[in-house]
Amino acid sequence: MSLQNNTLKLVLNNSPEVLERVLRVARHRGFKVELLNWQSESATLEFSVSSIRPIHLLINQLEKLIDVTQVTHLTEVTQEKRA
Amino acid sequence: MAVTQLTQPQVTTMRGADLLVKYLKLEGIDTVFGYPGGAIMPVYDALYDAGLKHVLCRHEQGAAFSAVGYARSSNKVGVCIATSGPGATNLVTALADAYMDSVPIVAITGQVSTAVIGTDAFQEIDVLGLSLSCTKHSFMVTRKEDLARVLKQAFTIAKSGRPGPVLIDIPKDIQLADIEAELEISQIDAIEPAETADLTAAIELLQQAQRPILYVGGGVGMANAVDQLQKFIEVTGIPSVTTLKGIGAVPTTSHYALGMLGMHGNRAANLSVHDCDLLVVVGARFDDRVTGHVATFAQGAKVLHLDIDPAEIGKIRACDISICADLVKVLPQLAVSLEIKDWQRKCWDLKQEFGTSYNAPYVTIYAPQLLRQLSDKLPNNAIVTCDVGQHQMWVAQHMRFTRPENHLSSAGLGTMGFGLPAGIGARHARPNDPVVVVSGDGSFMMNVQELGTIKREKLNVKIVLIDNQRLGMVRQWQQLFFEERYSETILTDNPDFVALAKAFDIEAKCITQQSEVQSALNEMLNSDGAYLLHVRIHEADNVWPLVPPGASNADMMESV
Repeated sequence: MSLQNNTLKLVLNNSPEVLERVLRVARHRGFKVELLNWQSESATLEFSVSSIRPIHLLINQLEKLIDVTQVTHLTEVTQEKRA
Repeated sequence: MAVTQLTQPQVTTMRGADLLVKYLKLEGIDTVFGYPGGAIMPVYDALYDAGLKHVLCRHEQGAAFSAVGYARSSNKVGVCIATSGPGATNLVTALADAYMDSVPIVAITGQVSTAVIGTDAFQEIDVLGLSLSCTKHSFMVTRKEDLARVLKQAFTIAKSGRPGPVLIDIPKDIQLADIEAELEISQIDAIEPAETADLTAAIELLQQAQRPILYVGGGVGMANAVDQLQKFIEVTGIPSVTTLKGIGAVPTTSHYALGMLGMHGNRAANLSVHDCDLLVVVGARFDDRVTGHVATFAQGAKVLHLDIDPAEIGKIRACDISICADLVKVLPQLAVSLEIKDWQRKCWDLKQEFGTSYNAPYVTIYAPQLLRQLSDKLPNNAIVTCDVGQHQMWVAQHMRFTRPENHLSSAGLGTMGFGLPAGIGARHARPNDPVVVVSGDGSFMMNVQELGTIKREKLNVKIVLIDNQRLGMVRQWQQLFFEERYSETILTDNPDFVALAKAFDIEAKCITQQSEVQSALNEMLNSDGAYLLHVRIHEADNVWPLVPPGASNADMMESV
């Protein structure tokens, strides 16, 4: 398996610990954060991750977080969070 | 799952601590488990005369595992309470256990006052930070007006979708603040129905299959779909295997129930899965203890995966069709009759070939046989909790369960020390049903202080302590895979367990001979209150069969 870079855009609930939640999941599930842009006012996070694991594994885990309201996969297809 | 009936919101002004207790009662919680301390004192003041049963456990981990046992035996939300700092850190192991096994509990922790958070105040620790990796969600309440909303949200999250533990950290000043709030109880989030196209495709997969196997996990019990699963099995006739948490969902009397699969599973179960052409996965997640070497697990099979959690679909094993919906609705929609007589016959033959035998390898008491004898004496409504290790696998292999909520075993996290407090929780959830804790001499010592809770509450909990004076499962692996180098697994210096039980006013007896087993089990079960039966077994008894690490489930070891 080769290393892949993917960029995700998340819309979040603006709780004080929400960045920790997202970054913890990324690290624990085997994704290295390469670049990160956090807009506190709009509670949006755009970040690029690299991993040998397929990106859908991370997207699925991020969508489980209560404070993540939307996940968009910018580099490939756009996918809305399942209700 | 049905949406809980909403009651009329009630507007009241009261201390945060009183609001919490009032909310718990409104939510239908009858018992909470906990341990007081400085930062949670207002809540304990509110509990003093609130008419809500509080069980004083003797360690916060015991309280949290009691909440887990309460929840797992009753399918209700378990609640535990601890103070800040060490009280909260002591909850972490049980929260992790509940997270791995998807158990709905709500943990309430006291926190230092908001003004001193972040100053390294006495008994201050960042509990919200600690909770991130061991809860489904967590809250720290920093504004008093948020408390009522957070409580409702916490219970809703704990029991909606895939259930799990939720933590609420409440600073002391919020507990003491006067709060005007509307109290509304939680609800269960509605689940989207399955897509018709997916159901059609799933039925097609089922009908095309010649050798289908049903792989049943803990999700079935948690979805309250045991009846629907059994009807599905009746209609389709698919032979089934279960995970550790799935035990009880399929009656062992079911014709083609092949038992537990995986590392210590039944050989017939593993061989059938190995040979199947369709794996119907219901509320299960391809855990490594189930699959063994993943690449060779049901290698030639298509996969139909039914689970409430979309993140489990394709996590370990790609599937052909997946449905993330309510099993109560989906299973009847998929129940079609199938023509699989040859396959049923083959599974039946395997089941006969690899049936259980009780040829004791030594003259000492043989734990698998004792557990089978115990199981035969227990009524169907009995709850058995166990700890982790060899005895846990023997319980799974040799005891019989008719409901998953009657078999409480720490599956995902594998936490020693689970059994005793889980039994205490189960006893409170179902006071009319017998509770038996099966433990080992290693695990028992991990939460042995909960004997104090049994004494205090005068709980009728029976304890069968299987003692090989070893950390048996680790010893077994040292024997098989580490050249018999028994590093730190020899416990010949165990305490006198009978004397230990008696120190807590618990009747106790030690047996060492096979001839003593039947009468000792009868004496224990017929005793009026708590009872500890200390059972000495041979240190070299191993759990068989076993899939060695890295091997295919088809290659099971049967002996040393």
